[in-house]
Amino acid sequence: MRRLFGAIAVLLFGVVLSGVATGYVERIAPSELARRYLAEVPLDLGAANVVTGILITYRGFDTLGEVAVLFMVAATVGLLLGAETRGTSVASRPEPRPPSELVSNGAEIVLPVIFLFGVYVIANGHLSAGGGFQGGAVVASAVGLMVLARPSIGLDHGFLSVAESLAGVLYVTVGILGLVLAGGFLDSRFLPHGALGAFVSAGAIPLISALLGIKVGAELSVIIDRFRS
Amino acid sequence: MGLPISHVLLVTGLLLMLIGLWGVFAHRNILRIIIGFSIFNTGIHIVMVATGYVTDGTAPIIDRALPVGEAVRRAVDPIPAALVVTAIVIGFSVTAVMLAYAVRLHQARKTLSIDAFTESKW
Amino acid sequence: MVEGLIHPLNIFLLGLGGGFLIPLLYRLSKRLPAVAFWVALGGIAALSGICFWRVLEGGGVIEIETAGSLPPLAISLRFGVAEGYFAFLVNLVAVLGAWQLWRSLRESYTTLLLYLILVMGINGMIMTRDLFNLFVFLEIVSVGTYGLFGLGRSPSALAASFKYIMATVLASSLFLLGAALLYHVCATLSIDELIARRGLIAGPVGATGLMLVLACLVIELKPYPANGWGLDVYETAPAGVAAIVSVGVSAGVFFALLKLLPLFEPHLTLIAISAAITFLAANLIGLRQANVQRMLGCSSVAQMALLTMALALLSRSGDAELNVAFVIGGLFANHLFAKAGLFWLAGALNRERIRDWNVLSTGAPFVMVFAALLVAIAGLPPFPGFWAKWELVMQLAVNGDQVWIAVVLFGSLLEAAYMFRWFCRAVGDARGEDAAVSALMRWRRGLMPSAACVALLLFGGVVAAWEVGAASAWLFAPLVSGVILLASEGLAGRVKCVLMLLLVSAVGFWLLQGVGGISGLFGALFLAGGVVIASAGLYRDDARHGYYPLMAVLLLSMIALLRATTSLEFFFCWEMVTLASSFLLALSPSARRYVLQFFLFSLAAAFLLLAGFGLVAATLGTSSFSAFVTAGPAAAPAFVLLALGCLVKIGVIGVHVWLPNAHATADGDLSAIFSPLVTKVPAFGLFMATYLATRSQVGLELAHVVGWIGMLTAAGAALLALNEPDMKRMLAYSSLSQTGYIVAAISLMSHLGWVTALYLVANHMMVKGILFLTATAIIYRTGLRRLEDCGGLARRMPLTFIVSVAALVSMSGLPPLAGFGGKWLLLTAMLQKEWYGPLALGAVATLIGLLYMFRFGHALFLGPLKRALSDAREAPAALLVPQFLLLAGILLLSFFPKPFMVPVSAAIDPQFASTLVWQGMSLELIYAYWDPTRAIVIAVIIAAIGWLALWLIYRGGRHPAQVPGVARFFQFYRLMLAPLRKAYVERFWDGVAIAAERGAGAARLHRQRTDLCASGTLLCHSALFPRDRVSQVVKPVMSSIFKEKEGKKMRNAFLIVALVGIVASGCTATERGAGIGAATGAVVGGAITNDVRGAAVGAAIGGVSGAVIGNVAGRPGQCYYRDRNGRRYVAACPR
Repeated sequence: MRRLFGAIAVLLFGVVLSGVATGYVERIAPSELARRYLAEVPLDLGAANVVTGILITYRGFDTLGEVAVLFMVAATVGLLLGAETRGTSVASRPEPRPPSELVSNGAEIVLPVIFLFGVYVIANGHLSAGGGFQGGAVVASAVGLMVLARPSIGLDHGFLSVAESLAGVLYVTVGILGLVLAGGFLDSRFLPHGALGAFVSAGAIPLISALLGIKVGAELSVIIDRFRS
Repeated sequence: MGLPISHVLLVTGLLLMLIGLWGVFAHRNILRIIIGFSIFNTGIHIVMVATGYVTDGTAPIIDRALPVGEAVRRAVDPIPAALVVTAIVIGFSVTAVMLAYAVRLHQARKTLSIDAFTESKW
Repeated sequence: MVEGLIHPLNIFLLGLGGGFLIPLLYRLSKRLPAVAFWVALGGIAALSGICFWRVLEGGGVIEIETAGSLPPLAISLRFGVAEGYFAFLVNLVAVLGAWQLWRSLRESYTTLLLYLILVMGINGMIMTRDLFNLFVFLEIVSVGTYGLFGLGRSPSALAASFKYIMATVLASSLFLLGAALLYHVCATLSIDELIARRGLIAGPVGATGLMLVLACLVIELKPYPANGWGLDVYETAPAGVAAIVSVGVSAGVFFALLKLLPLFEPHLTLIAISAAITFLAANLIGLRQANVQRMLGCSSVAQMALLTMALALLSRSGDAELNVAFVIGGLFANHLFAKAGLFWLAGALNRERIRDWNVLSTGAPFVMVFAALLVAIAGLPPFPGFWAKWELVMQLAVNGDQVWIAVVLFGSLLEAAYMFRWFCRAVGDARGEDAAVSALMRWRRGLMPSAACVALLLFGGVVAAWEVGAASAWLFAPLVSGVILLASEGLAGRVKCVLMLLLVSAVGFWLLQGVGGISGLFGALFLAGGVVIASAGLYRDDARHGYYPLMAVLLLSMIALLRATTSLEFFFCWEMVTLASSFLLALSPSARRYVLQFFLFSLAAAFLLLAGFGLVAATLGTSSFSAFVTAGPAAAPAFVLLALGCLVKIGVIGVHVWLPNAHATADGDLSAIFSPLVTKVPAFGLFMATYLATRSQVGLELAHVVGWIGMLTAAGAALLALNEPDMKRMLAYSSLSQTGYIVAAISLMSHLGWVTALYLVANHMMVKGILFLTATAIIYRTGLRRLEDCGGLARRMPLTFIVSVAALVSMSGLPPLAGFGGKWLLLTAMLQKEWYGPLALGAVATLIGLLYMFRFGHALFLGPLKRALSDAREAPAALLVPQFLLLAGILLLSFFPKPFMVPVSAAIDPQFASTLVWQGMSLELIYAYWDPTRAIVIAVIIAAIGWLALWLIYRGGRHPAQVPGVARFFQFYRLMLAPLRKAYVERFWDGVAIAAERGAGAARLHRQRTDLCASGTLLCHSALFPRDRVSQVVKPVMSSIFKEKEGKKMRNAFLIVALVGIVASGCTATERGAGIGAATGAVVGGAITNDVRGAAVGAAIGGVSGAVIGNVAGRPGQCYYRDRNGRRYVAACPR
């Protein structure tokens, strides 16, 4: 019965979506708005990566909101998993199986590389594919691997929480600086935008990327660690 | 005219959505349901990226391959890409919350089947 | 600098900055997070308040741009009047909610930041003008609620939260997809641009996108039947969190719908229908709920549906923006504060089941706040919901949406039913006194936010009244008087009574200034009669908490009603009368079980009136009474509704069940107010309605029907009275019977008829006042209620006996007292109009009236004195004085009718002077009929014949009993009338109640599994689709099913051929490469496994590799390069 309803629901949904599939026409040229972005982001913001320019400046308000979502999720997961498991279940849990040699040794070699790569992705967000979120996720994946390789290791939640909060506060502060020094809230143009394609360019975008990277990395690490318990 | 590449991507995304939805509806195990949602979300993300494709477009990153002047003609729409980054993060966040609830539910009843939670009508 | 700080953008800075700071501050000191939380939350509320004020003061809409760029490029927000209103109210509730929830919030700084960012998210949903940004804020709000649900620790709370998450994640995913598709079609995410380009949303992609966005918003508003997940979470979440979800989150979602509404213009009817179904069903389900929070959840869903429905309907008809804003704003504020307040009360009292609610022990403040919030929820005055609902009905009537009016009113009635049933159970009886102390301890903290809600609602009500142009000192005078008396509740009971009498006299006199005509006459009667009868309250020396303020409100509202010059003012006063009398009834312990019945019938009557007034306003274009003169035949349906409303409130036979119950069980002096006075309010209403009817041509035929109804009521109620053993209930039936005469007299619609009606009104008021006070005195002195138990009291209570006999004589229509004149006039008037049927009925009714009144007097006062009554004493002076005052009135009216009749006739003249109904009869002529000798002779003859007939039947029907006497005589007739006791009408109404409950049960069972039903809603919305799209999809599906029968291999071949076909038609090189790869893969895969699945897997692998290999054929001299993004580009080959 349940499956029948499920099938009907999926079928209906399929009917609805088939309209999209049949009616879809690929764009031949970018839309007018996209053209404006493509023209203005490099010239106005000085960011070679148009997506990052949009993400951090023009739609920076979205990004800030997204950071807030992640922040809330880290807090929620902590609230849900932190409070009760700390006292009771950890003590009663059997000793975890030690990780295999492959994982622990591999991690030692790969971890520095991953961390470095994460930092690279964060720092080059305004120039090539990447940015704070992506790099933060890479860093967090390294943390995940680390946790797998050394189950006994404890992450310093205090440090991570301070890091993420500080990054968040600084992000908002940078936004306010944009409001005061440039055109509006989250405007990245209060720093000189430099030469297009140079490492130090694109106004405050690399700064914001770095803050995002720290924040996302810290938050994802906290979330991963919460599930570990 | 054949199927443009983005159309294939679009249909794939839509199919993934349907698969995810089926996973949500047909399974009684909370983890499987969460995976269903994850697949559903991934499908949406793929659809979003697909709709941003412009025929013969390339990534909207300015460098040697794509000088500033050409970007307006040759780059794909950067907006869906920007949106999808946000959407992915949000999708991840929601999955994390659901998993946290799954853990709590498992602690409460020592099972992951939603049939164990009889208090509310499922 | 200060100017820069007061900007709506700073709401987000405070929310996010505060949220991010809280963990940092926690490292510094454990106390700082709380400080930061309150600073930020208070700042958000204050900012929104100040900015809203500025916008209102003409500061203009504040456009908030981010990133220093204009909208299509960057995200923009807007803070206009609507945004400011919603944001400010939500923030106010958020502050109060934090106060209420503080105990659990402060446990961990995590919840503080979640709450703060959640509130900011709701503000964002309200302000943002970007579609995708709306999605982000929706997610912020959702994640915030998920986090706060974590405060609920029980497994059921967890399960409910998980369900909620599933539903909302699904919904927001749809929104995301919808937004992406809309962007694809319209190439913009700015809502303003989207609206400007909505013409582009025509194709299947755009339509699907639009539908998905709509589906998300509708699902988030928890439509029936897909709302089980919402109800579960309302039930299990902590009350404070449930309140925020119910009002805050819903407000955000609703505002999103409001914002996007221009996009949904073609689907407004669909939205309205979906909302109407939800509204009715949620209220129906509410009837069955046993859990307080779940019931509040039902009401919450219903209220949001009502808002949505109103929005869709009013926008559909293109009503003036101001009107829509008034309706939506009023309903919203009402729901916001009332629902939040009720949730908080539920949290403060912490009783899950409705039957465990016993709020009496929690003290008067709690009960008052509780009652006020329920009144607000039910959309009754003086709260904003009342004004908004009025305006809504008026607008709907103007637009010709009569069916929708019925939906609104019926749903509201259902909602009032379960809400007030909750109230009645809560004040029902004094169980669980042991829990009183701890409850008392708790409410002091928990009550304050709810009390603040009541204060805000009151303020909102005054503002709304002012907006609608009805705010005047006199309209609110009854309420203010009540509040003044409430302030002096600490005094002794009798002092309060005297105070009340003084206040009512003074304010009542003031209210009546300048009121003339029929209204003036009624006013004089109400004021004089009210004060005289209410003074009987002095016989009790207990405190009677709440009684005197409510009594003042009741009496003054009745008087204010007469002053009304517009239908809105009239309806306001009418509802105040209903409310005051209901709550007064609830103060009488024995009457509590009938309060709900009383209230619901009164409310039903009021809603009929409301609908009627709506129709009148629609035909006349104004709600002013002075315009009623111009009403044409089109106003006939309105007349029917108005008359029906008044008749229900009068309690004519068929809908009379509530009246005797309430009037008989109320406290003694209260029923002496109810029966003689309050029943005259609908009589006055009937005057107004018939007046309207004289203008419409069908009116006169309907008047005949009303005349029949009146006389049937007179006769039927008389029979019931004859049958009734309980003395007060008998008096109540008798009252009904007398009102029946009045109805008939009004329906005559002649000068004579109206004079008669007024005469009867005056007479009945005084007579019934005396008799109810008599019953009060006897019950007070003896404690007996049954007529049979009493007897021979004439010797013990001689004064009471004397006034009662005089009253009985006057009422029964025996000469020479006033009742005779009234009846005589009535019969004459009927003869004049040749209404012989009602005339005959009237004669029968009069005869039965004689019988039961004789029985009343005889059973109480005559015969041998019962031993149990031997120590009964004369009634207290406090009861006797009003009785004698009333008797004096009767004597005046009987022997000097002229001073009364002349103004009566003069008052009626203007009403009929200009119409056809004037009978050409001078005043003298009327009196000429009233020839005492002739009248007496005829009356005595009629009475004698009747008595003789009855006596003969009695003799013939049975052998003379051992103790022939009056008692036996009545017993015989009561036996004969026994079938009547079965009370078919009451059974009918019980049946209605049971049917409603069953319906609720069925509706509840009908709800299928939640997640599936979410998609059921989708099904509804797939109606958005053009039909041919469905067939387009169904056909291939059908054909593929057909093919399945032909075997698996056939299908394999089909698949492969199809893939090859794709390749063949592919045009670009890369795609052809991918296609060829896919086809090859499919063939290989299919060949290896001989299975479709294998072919599909093969196709996938092949396609990917094909695309990777790519097509190397290119332009000569050009080479492919790869940049560091892994992207190929073409450039000249290196040499």
